[in-house]
This record gives sequence, C-alpha cells and structure tokens, in this order.
Amino acid sequence: MLRSSVVTILAVLALGGCVTSHVEDARETVTGLKEGESVVIMAKSYHAGNETESDYITCVEKALRGGSKGINVVPHQRFVDELFPWFEPRTVPADTKGLPILMDRPGVKQAVAKLGVRYIVWLDGDTERVAEGGSLSCAAGPGGGGCFGFAWWQNDADYEATVWDLDDFESAGSVTADVSGTSFLPALVVPIPLIARTQTKACKGLANQLRSFIVQ
Amino acid sequence: MPTIPEPRLEKIPVDVAVRMPANFQEFVHTEDVLGKSKQTIHLGSSNANFFRQLFGYMFDSVVVLGPDDDARDYQFDALIEPSIEGFEFSTPNQTQSQDYSVWIRYRLNVFDRVGTRASSWTVSAYGKSQKEGITGGDSLRRAAVLAMRDAAALIIMQMDNVSKIRQLADGPLDPAAAEPETQVAGASPQDDDEAPASVIGVFAIGGIDDVAQ
Repeated sequence: MLRSSVVTILAVLALGGCVTSHVEDARETVTGLKEGESVVIMAKSYHAGNETESDYITCVEKALRGGSKGINVVPHQRFVDELFPWFEPRTVPADTKGLPILMDRPGVKQAVAKLGVRYIVWLDGDTERVAEGGSLSCAAGPGGGGCFGFAWWQNDADYEATVWDLDDFESAGSVTADVSGTSFLPALVVPIPLIARTQTKACKGLANQLRSFIVQ
Repeated sequence: MPTIPEPRLEKIPVDVAVRMPANFQEFVHTEDVLGKSKQTIHLGSSNANFFRQLFGYMFDSVVVLGPDDDARDYQFDALIEPSIEGFEFSTPNQTQSQDYSVWIRYRLNVFDRVGTRASSWTVSAYGKSQKEGITGGDSLRRAAVLAMRDAAALIIMQMDNVSKIRQLADGPLDPAAAEPETQVAGASPQDDDEAPASVIGVFAIGGIDDVAQ
C-alpha cells in the first residue's frame, strides 16, 4: 500500500504541464572569457518600465555558475553596491555610448577591474499569466472532503539578455527566450496539479544559450 | 538600519552643517489602504542616518545639528536643511501587481554661513520591490530603502550643479545678489512656505523633468 502510494506521488510529480520554448541569439561581435574574467547579470531599470523578477535574475546567475562548464558570475547586488551610485535604476547607462564616460568617473574603472567583470548582461522581460479557464470546487464535511472540476492556466515568459563587452564598450549581441507553458489541475476528489515550470524553463534555456554565446 | 554604499565620487570641498528635523529620528507613515484599515511603515531614524552618511561621503566635513541647535555656534561654509515634503506608497492590492512602491519627496534648503538661503531643491525619489512573504512588510521597507538610494543617486549627480553649494566655500552670498524673498536659516517653518524666485524644482521619477532657475 505504502509502496503504491509512493509510486503514485512520484508519477504525479514527474508529470508536468505542456511547455514550448524558443531560445535564440543574435551576435554582433566575437566574444570569449579569459581566466579570471566574470560576468554580471543586471535587470534593466524599473524606471524604464522593466518588470524582470529578482528571482529570475538569481536563477540565471545560479544556472550560469553551475555545472562543469560554469562561468564566474559576480552577484548583481555586490556589483551595484561597489559601483554606487552609477548602476542605480535612475543612473544606469541607457546604451553602450555612455560607457566611456562612466568608466572615467572616479574609481569606476578600478572597481570593475577589481571585480573582474568583462561582460554586463542586461535582462529585460517577465513572466505573465496570459490565459486561464475551467472551474474547480472543493467541499469538506464531517465525513471528509474533496474537489471536483478542471482548471487550467497559461503563462508566457519572454526575456531578452543584452550583452555588453566592457573591454570594447560595445554590445556583443543578445539572447532571447520565449517560453509558453500551460498548467492543468484536474480534480476527482483529489486535485492532481500538472504544473508547467515556465519561468524555470526560460531561466535554464536562456542561461545555457548565454553561456555558449559568451564562451563560444 | 539601512545604509548606502560608499559612492564612487570626488568629495565637494565644502564644510557643511546639516540640521535634521525632529521627525527624521522616528519617522512613521500611515496610510489608508483599500481592503485594509491602515498600513503603517516605520522608518525609525533611517532618514537621519541616510543624510548623515550621504553628506559624509559627499563633503569634506559634516557636522550634524539637532532641531534646536543654534547654527551660529558652529563653523561651516554651508548649512543644509533636509525635510520630507511627501511620502506615499502603494501595495500589490492597489496596483494589481506584485510590487510595493514608495515615493519620497525631500526638500533640501541650502544656506550660506550667515543664514542667507542659497537654494531650495525638491528631490523626488522612487523605489519598487517585489512582494515577498505573506505580509509584505519587508518588501515595503525595501521599497523605501530603494527610494532613499534613488534620492542619494540624484543628490550625488545633481547637487553641485543645482545648488551651487561649492561656491559657498568662498564665503557668504553677496546680499545684493540674493533674492529679496530669500529666507533665513532657522526661520520658523510657517515663514518658509513661500519658495523664493530662485527655487529650483527637480520633479523626477526616472529622470529630471524640470530644472528651472
């Protein structure tokens, strides 16, 4: 009995919703990462309306660092603090044309060199629920309870990572991840969630492509 | 206690005194929020610490005056009086989003060493933080800290140009050149309601929209 229950739970956990993903890059220059060089992952400014989630940034940082092909990633908060106030939402350079002026500010070049940052990766985009439907109702009484019905929802994750090369003060290119996932929740007494990990898929897809893009 | 990192800048060679208003030591803001009776944010002495730290990084020397200290007892080139003109926040319930937002509007009055007002500057700052946890109290506080950092960034970038505070190291303003309605340091708050013609307004969320002299 216990064994069959465990098998059932594992089977449910192994199931997931439907996810379709599309990840691609557009290269503008040759890239590469030398020994001791790092990247930093930054969200574009919320002053410009960007809504990139902080946990998505953390996820991309971890995914880039992880595995045998992991690369050096400087935590974004450390980078922002070390270069205060020049990477605050109000002051971040809008494009690479502002980089030479920024680097000439007192202590900026030295701080970037100390951290070993070669590339700044700017993330833009978010995950949104774009559709949902179905109905599910649950009831409970003295003799027990249960749910009946079917619900579904669709999340779209659209992210773009733009890579700036601090050696040449130019954009190296961009990587985009467009992921759509539909989750289902059928319930016949017990609800069985079939969750599409849309944002996680977009994080891992973008990070893998980004690593290939930077390291070549 | 929220702190700002040490900024990458060259100090402005001016000895300043900073007069902290009484509410900077224990700042509490309460707002009626739709769906909740009231929501309160306690910032304690964050504002006092923030300006003490910021001006300490920006100027050659800083002496902090209490609300009742007589400025004439101290030596300085310029006296800065920060105050909060406005504080607002929004919650995810209000905006149908996952974000807490905080807007703070500071006023910085700058006086020369004899008490003639050199400039009066409004700094509008904005901070946004995504909801974490059930109550969201930490997220709201983080949004307030981000708004203070935003104010710090704006003050660092613009203060020297906008307030011309650097010139005060050369001595007090020429009284003939001062605006006739210029206020005097230590004047009562009621007298301070009318801004002089030289008031500089910087009203910005995400940029400086209006700088008029």
